[in-house]
Amino acid sequence: MREVVITVRDVDAGYTTPVIRGISFDVYAGEIFVILGGSGCGKSTLLKHMIGLNPPLAGEIRLMGDRLFGVPQEERLRALRHFGVTYQSGALFGSMTLLENVCVPLDSFTDLPREARYLVAEMKLELVGLKEYADYFPSDISGGMRKRAAIARAMALDPRILFLDEPSAGLDPVTSAELDRLILHLRDTQGVTVVMVTHELASIFAIADRCVMLDKQEQRLIATGSPAELRDHSELPAVRAFFNREAKNPS
Amino acid sequence: MEISLPETCSAAAVAGLWRSALPAVARLGRGDTLELDAGAVGSCGGAGEALIVELYRRSARQGFDIACRDGRGVVARTLELFAVGNFAEDPAMTHPPRKTATAVQVGEAVVGIWQTICEQMAFLGEATVATATLLFRPRRLRLRDTLLHFERAGIDALPITLLIGFLFGLIVAFMAAATMRQFGVEVYVADLISIGLFRELGALITAIILAGRSGSAFAAEIGTMKVNEEVDALETLGLPPVTFLALPRVFAATLAMPLLTIFAIGAGLLGGAVVMAALGLPSTVYWNRIIKATTLNNVLLGLFKAAVFGLLVGLVGCAQGLQTGRTADAVGRAATAAVVGSLVLITIFDGLFAVLFHVLGI
Ligand SMILES: Nc1ncnc2c1ncn2[C@@H]1O[C@H](COP(=O)(O)OP(=O)(O)O)[C@@H](O)[C@H]1O
Ligand SMILES: [Mg+2]
Repeated sequence: MREVVITVRDVDAGYTTPVIRGISFDVYAGEIFVILGGSGCGKSTLLKHMIGLNPPLAGEIRLMGDRLFGVPQEERLRALRHFGVTYQSGALFGSMTLLENVCVPLDSFTDLPREARYLVAEMKLELVGLKEYADYFPSDISGGMRKRAAIARAMALDPRILFLDEPSAGLDPVTSAELDRLILHLRDTQGVTVVMVTHELASIFAIADRCVMLDKQEQRLIATGSPAELRDHSELPAVRAFFNREAKNPS
Repeated sequence: MEISLPETCSAAAVAGLWRSALPAVARLGRGDTLELDAGAVGSCGGAGEALIVELYRRSARQGFDIACRDGRGVVARTLELFAVGNFAEDPAMTHPPRKTATAVQVGEAVVGIWQTICEQMAFLGEATVATATLLFRPRRLRLRDTLLHFERAGIDALPITLLIGFLFGLIVAFMAAATMRQFGVEVYVADLISIGLFRELGALITAIILAGRSGSAFAAEIGTMKVNEEVDALETLGLPPVTFLALPRVFAATLAMPLLTIFAIGAGLLGGAVVMAALGLPSTVYWNRIIKATTLNNVLLGLFKAAVFGLLVGLVGCAQGLQTGRTADAVGRAATAAVVGSLVLITIFDGLFAVLFHVLGI
């Protein structure tokens, strides 16, 4: 029996009206789990519910058993500490060096002495291959490096879960493949569970253990399984079209 | 000596160890042995890994030996993941907090001021050229934008301008009347209000309102566009940002100022009237005095100054916006600099005008 780290039960995702309804799935410890679907189908919206930015319109989400909404402050704080997030744009603090960026969570949530925090931050940057750039500002490094630095910051407090929103957006295929390798490396060495939103097929086949696919028209989760299963055995035209890169209404 | 790592090497668990054990480790030297017991460690976070790396790099530096009990291979895994040699320096030394000597700061500030002056001059030049170009091709002026900014800087500012003008007139009249009454000449309060508002204060308070409301907004709007690379986009589309973004705002501010000033002065006169009425002076007497004391010279002077102040606020706000850096806090600094810069320039120009008009005898 594998350990379940995230449970999503009957969730309606949306802002005021649901964008997708009735989503349920589990994410197991140590897996790389991908949420996929066409643009605007509600992937980011679902992710925002999972990381506690917006409450889901219905249903329940638990991270390591803890909920983020409608619970006492301690439970929410505990739930928040289970995960790290990198946002689509990286969201590094522009006025700080990479090292200082990684130090922010360490400064706020640990009472390690200063040299220890610096060392931890340096080691996190080493983990993502950016130790040499510790004193650079985010504006002085490339997009791929910014993504990696954001991952280092997300990993600063050793979260069990790492959420990534379209990590490969705007990256060239080689950089994107390097990022995939980094995500695998983190999973293998740090034992972190990765939940990522992406529609990069190459990345999905390279690293995803399991995925769920959301559909914009049907407003629900239409498929769950490993990438190969979905590609080869799905009955649904929408799923097959996605995995075989076909246009839905060929003209 | 001996250090045993706890079962869960989280930051919280390691912090105490770091403070209590490391000072003793610093005293170890060649020939000593540190017994590191990692046998109990189940999970090891970044802080635990950092402690292991720290111990091993100190061992390399100070020459003591480490006898490690590493039941589940946590230490070996950490050392495999992080080459200790990579972290040979004291991180606090390699990344010193960004502090600079006072002399350097002073020097940088002076250079900064000089650069600001140069940039403002360059912007002024560009704006002048752009305006001159507009004279020949008036259709390149963004009329809709100009009207929009006129509405925001002018019409939307009416309530606050009226309120402050009114209160200003009220307060000045009240304070003056209290004194003048002792001499029985409170009717001259009207002269004071008229000359004061038309010649000096009307334009000044309106300019301060404009700088706070719109100068900062100009800088923040353009600054945010700069951060979002929208300004670059204009440039590459062949639309000079000065013509496209700055001129509509500058024109709007220059136009709005005299009009707002008229309203501020009107409200101020009303404020004076309220005080005089409260003191029992018939309002016809008050308004008669106002009309007598108000000269065309003073009115035109005030409006001229208002237009110049509006021009200054617009120019400084747009210049600061276009010179914004690339970060979010740069936008905030640009807005602040726009307000401060406008106020300083307004004060300087007000002084210059006072001297000039005195010399010219108007
Ligand atoms: N802040 C918001 N408020 C209201 N609706 C939003 C908001 N953000 C996104 N939406 C809508 O929610 C839907 C899903 O968006 P999103 O989750 O961002 O899609 P994606 O799957 O591409 O990440 C879209 O139709 C979008 O218009
Ligand atoms: Mg999205």
